[in-house]
Amino acid sequence: MIDDCSIDTDAPARHGEKIRCHPSVIAERSLSAVVVLGVLVMQLGRGALPAVLAILFVGLVLFNYRQWNRTTVQFNETDVVVERNTLFKMKKTLPYAKMASVNVNRGVLNRVFGTSRLLVNINSGSGAMVPEAVLTFRQDVAEGIRAGMAERLYGHETVPEEEPAEPPVSFSPVDVIVHGLFSVSTYQTVFGFAFLAYSVVQLYVSTVTGAGADGKALVSLLMFFSIQLAPSVSLIFHYYNYRVYRRGDTIYLEHGLVRTYKTSFAVSRINAVRVKRTLAARLLHRSWIEVEVVGLASGSGESLRPVLCLLKDDATQQRLFRELVPEFVYDRSPERQPEGARRMLRIRAALASLALVLATAYPSIYVYRATADLAGTAGTVLPYALPLTTLLGALAIFYATHVSCRITEFDAGKDLFTFVNGAVDRETVVMNYDKVQTVQVARGPVSGLFGVARAEVYLLSSTGGTSISSGYFFENRLGAIGETMMERIASGEYDWRKNSI
Amino acid sequence: MLSPATGTDGYRRLNRKCMLSMYIDYAVWYVVLLAAYFAVRTYAEGFLGPYYDAVEYGFVLVLVITLVYIAMAPPVFYARYRYRITEDRVDVRCGILFIRHTLVPIERVHQVEITRGPINNLLGLADVTITTAGGEASIRYLEVDEAETVADRLNDLVGRMLRERMPKTGSPRPGPAGE
Repeated sequence: MIDDCSIDTDAPARHGEKIRCHPSVIAERSLSAVVVLGVLVMQLGRGALPAVLAILFVGLVLFNYRQWNRTTVQFNETDVVVERNTLFKMKKTLPYAKMASVNVNRGVLNRVFGTSRLLVNINSGSGAMVPEAVLTFRQDVAEGIRAGMAERLYGHETVPEEEPAEPPVSFSPVDVIVHGLFSVSTYQTVFGFAFLAYSVVQLYVSTVTGAGADGKALVSLLMFFSIQLAPSVSLIFHYYNYRVYRRGDTIYLEHGLVRTYKTSFAVSRINAVRVKRTLAARLLHRSWIEVEVVGLASGSGESLRPVLCLLKDDATQQRLFRELVPEFVYDRSPERQPEGARRMLRIRAALASLALVLATAYPSIYVYRATADLAGTAGTVLPYALPLTTLLGALAIFYATHVSCRITEFDAGKDLFTFVNGAVDRETVVMNYDKVQTVQVARGPVSGLFGVARAEVYLLSSTGGTSISSGYFFENRLGAIGETMMERIASGEYDWRKNSI
Repeated sequence: MLSPATGTDGYRRLNRKCMLSMYIDYAVWYVVLLAAYFAVRTYAEGFLGPYYDAVEYGFVLVLVITLVYIAMAPPVFYARYRYRITEDRVDVRCGILFIRHTLVPIERVHQVEITRGPINNLLGLADVTITTAGGEASIRYLEVDEAETVADRLNDLVGRMLRERMPKTGSPRPGPAGE
């Protein structure tokens, strides 16, 4: 049983001492219910219902109070213990040795109450999306605990607020906006703008004909908002005031407009580095860097893959890459897909185009018959719209194949290996053999004819497990990934202490 | 020959009963597909209107292709399936249309699990699922005894590796603070 009198929520944690989270968590947890109950009262607010809902709300506040009152956190020599002594008892022990990261973030309510959220993550694939513990403390207490835990995790203090570190590259608000606008995938942008165009056409037609705009225009506009605009705005808010630096073997990230994030992780926790370029970014000669680090969940459903460099010009991106993660830099001698792969990809493109033509043949004839007798522009354009679209689709398939043949690369170094993929949105993924969990080399009925295969490398990622695919190469070349991985284990080059999960 | 054979390269093959298990499994799904076809044929004419004939022909085509696949797939699967467990790795080669070669280092194995569905249970077969931090690999349609042996061997290998890593000198044992 917890001795309530001995628990102080404001004092910095001492080893073995049980402390409670800040009482503002009661308000935080109860506030979301206020919105739901408020809506219910507005919609169904008749008779005794508001009173019942008010009682429910009071009950919820009392429940949250009891949860807070009976939940303690204990920072021991070797672990952190979170214990809840309610009807559903819980005791969670988080050993420092298994922790991947300890991070702090602050939302609006945290700012109102002068608190911070401390997020403790274990290096586990199964719980990668949710932090193992989310603890709210007064801001200075949270920072103090984080500094103490970082010392245990990374072997030195985190950088205090008043001691600003020198970031190798500074990012202006314009960089953040450019990142928000042009790092959204090209497919998403195309779909988003297609919806916008449809919406504009619908509005124009309704204005010309004098009929009011129907629901289709509004739905299309909403689709544009949700597919294109909302992700861009969310990215701008998320990466506002972006700052990245490395101290010792730890990388620090700070960003956020509404909710602020302070994230740090050991370089040894990085499983892969991705350099990404969307079509728009390539036209602007810009690229950005993401890393796969397990155990950085914030629990708020946001992007979990840490960004080491926002969309910057390629030269700056490469400089930052070398300065932040030199462990993932090596002399590359990339190889392109062999001629057999090119032939196979062309055959595949031909088969895909044939399938497209077969799929649209009947609808094309149907549309032609239905619209051929129409007068004016509609009668000239509509009968041929579907065949033309099919032709454009087939051309796009062949062009994507041509680009894919040109840019797909594979490179097997001594410690690292790289895949380069993507006809439209390009991605260079540098991986460490020691971080690979499983390798699968697969050849299909067509690729088998040309003696080429495709590798799929399974890694522990920010969202649990992930697989990264290569292009088509000779099977023995791709088999070298698995063999090198095994040789490193056998020769002792692989150090399990540095790669423990 | 019912027991799985070991080739000169150390790869082991599956028991022929795997084909029977696959045939039964496929047959169950084919019955479901047939039921869907007859439901469409009986009730969907009004709903599909002018597309009814096209959908029916499409459905028949799918049924024929599926039947050919069901007839051909199990022998091909059996003929191609190979697995090998050595001191340092699990190696599985399998596939019907797409041939996959999966390599799992023993070093990365987190968990080994034996699973048996109702059909495999009937035929005395089981699957061994090997979980790593980044995904799963499985050795399918093993005889129950063989599956137990494989799982025991994998657990032994992982256990031996972990024991070798334990510090030999007396370091502080983990436990509650102050103990």
